Amino acid sequence: MNKILADKDLTRRIEEISDQKLSDCYQCGRCTAGCPFAEFMDVPPNQVIRFMQLGLKEDLLKTQGPWFCAACLVCQARCPRGVDIPRLMEAVRTIHLRAKEGLIDVPEIDKEFLLDAPPLALISAFSKFTY
Amino acid sequence: MKLQYYPGCTLYTKAKPLNTSLHACFNAVGIELAELPHWYCCGTTFTLARDNRMSLIAPLRILAKAQQEDGKVLVPCSICYNTLKRANYMLNEDRETLDILNEHLEESYDGNEIVLHPLEFFRDNEELVRSKVKKSLKDLKVGCYYGCLLLRPQQEIQFDDPEAPTIFENFISSVGATPIDFPLKVECCGSYLVVTSPDAALESSYKLLRNAQGNGVNAVVTSCPLCYYNLDALQEKMTKAHPDFKQIPVFYFSQILALALGAEEKNLGLEQNKVSPYTILKEYDLL
Ligand code: SF4
Ligand code: SF4
Repeated sequence: MNKILADKDLTRRIEEISDQKLSDCYQCGRCTAGCPFAEFMDVPPNQVIRFMQLGLKEDLLKTQGPWFCAACLVCQARCPRGVDIPRLMEAVRTIHLRAKEGLIDVPEIDKEFLLDAPPLALISAFSKFTY
Repeated sequence: MKLQYYPGCTLYTKAKPLNTSLHACFNAVGIELAELPHWYCCGTTFTLARDNRMSLIAPLRILAKAQQEDGKVLVPCSICYNTLKRANYMLNEDRETLDILNEHLEESYDGNEIVLHPLEFFRDNEELVRSKVKKSLKDLKVGCYYGCLLLRPQQEIQFDDPEAPTIFENFISSVGATPIDFPLKVECCGSYLVVTSPDAALESSYKLLRNAQGNGVNAVVTSCPLCYYNLDALQEKMTKAHPDFKQIPVFYFSQILALALGAEEKNLGLEQNKVSPYTILKEYDLL
């Protein structure tokens, strides 16, 4: 039952942060078809957008999908409706991060990797996974 | 002739070979790279949240500083290039944000600085480069890996066709090597996921390299230090995960050009490539 009570507020915030119109997406699934990381996502990009359209707050905030988005923009380049999907993925992450959830856990990063990795890998991850 | 130059953080640390070989290339064609004085980090990945103006501060300050020196700035790192170009585009579209930031930062940036990638410079000055080529690389079958940031979003970056780009291949032909097309040249290497979801980055980089090899590539080139890391440094792990995988050398585009221009080996920084490039370079008599 809960699920049917759409959260309009969440939908509005996503639209604001991303500057996208959720009704533009007609759910063709092309974004998911070309997403190199869809196989790692529990919920693929078009379904994440469907949760947004329907205002399914719980489902949306539970999915791990947006955390596997590398902002590669392949889907943005191919969406027949001109939806900037990575902006929507960023909006979900932003909502979490601003609530201090999903922050990158630096001590968890492999030490050897930290020494070996180029600065821009770390700075990119820190800027994507902090607020 | 001088060109204003913004190297970005990684070119001073893990991507020194990109910096030194690029200097060698410009030196060989008689152009001095004049490094922007007192530059700082661009902040990397452009923010996709429209209500986040903080992330535009670093790019704006870099662009404003560059503009005081010259109307054009050369940026070789794909991430810096993408971030500065997208910020520039956005500040032009959204003058209100530009005014607010200018006011707070006490800058007077007008949005007109041109951000130029070396591959664009070489495209526009092809004859200059061609005339200085000393060594033929014709047997080297090069897979030009564009990745994401040089190509997308097309409207803002305007670098090349986002699905079927050719600027890199033309560059490789002009230095005398043989470009080999492979479909995944425009797909993602995994980018910063290497930090948070290393398996995802490993698998996507692996797929790219397999795709390149399957099409006959024997050396991959890139302009992005992060792609470079994922494609080169992760190969050891790829071999563990996929025992039939054969390692393949990865180069910065500037290392290949510097080779063709006959630059001194010490400027190429080849010793820093994780997958040894020496076997193939010796095999084709290039060292
Ligand atoms: S490609 Fe565009 S229209 Fe199709 S499902 Fe994805 S976002 Fe919606
Ligand atoms: S931008 Fe994100 S959602 Fe879109 S294809 Fe790339 S990884 Fe997938």
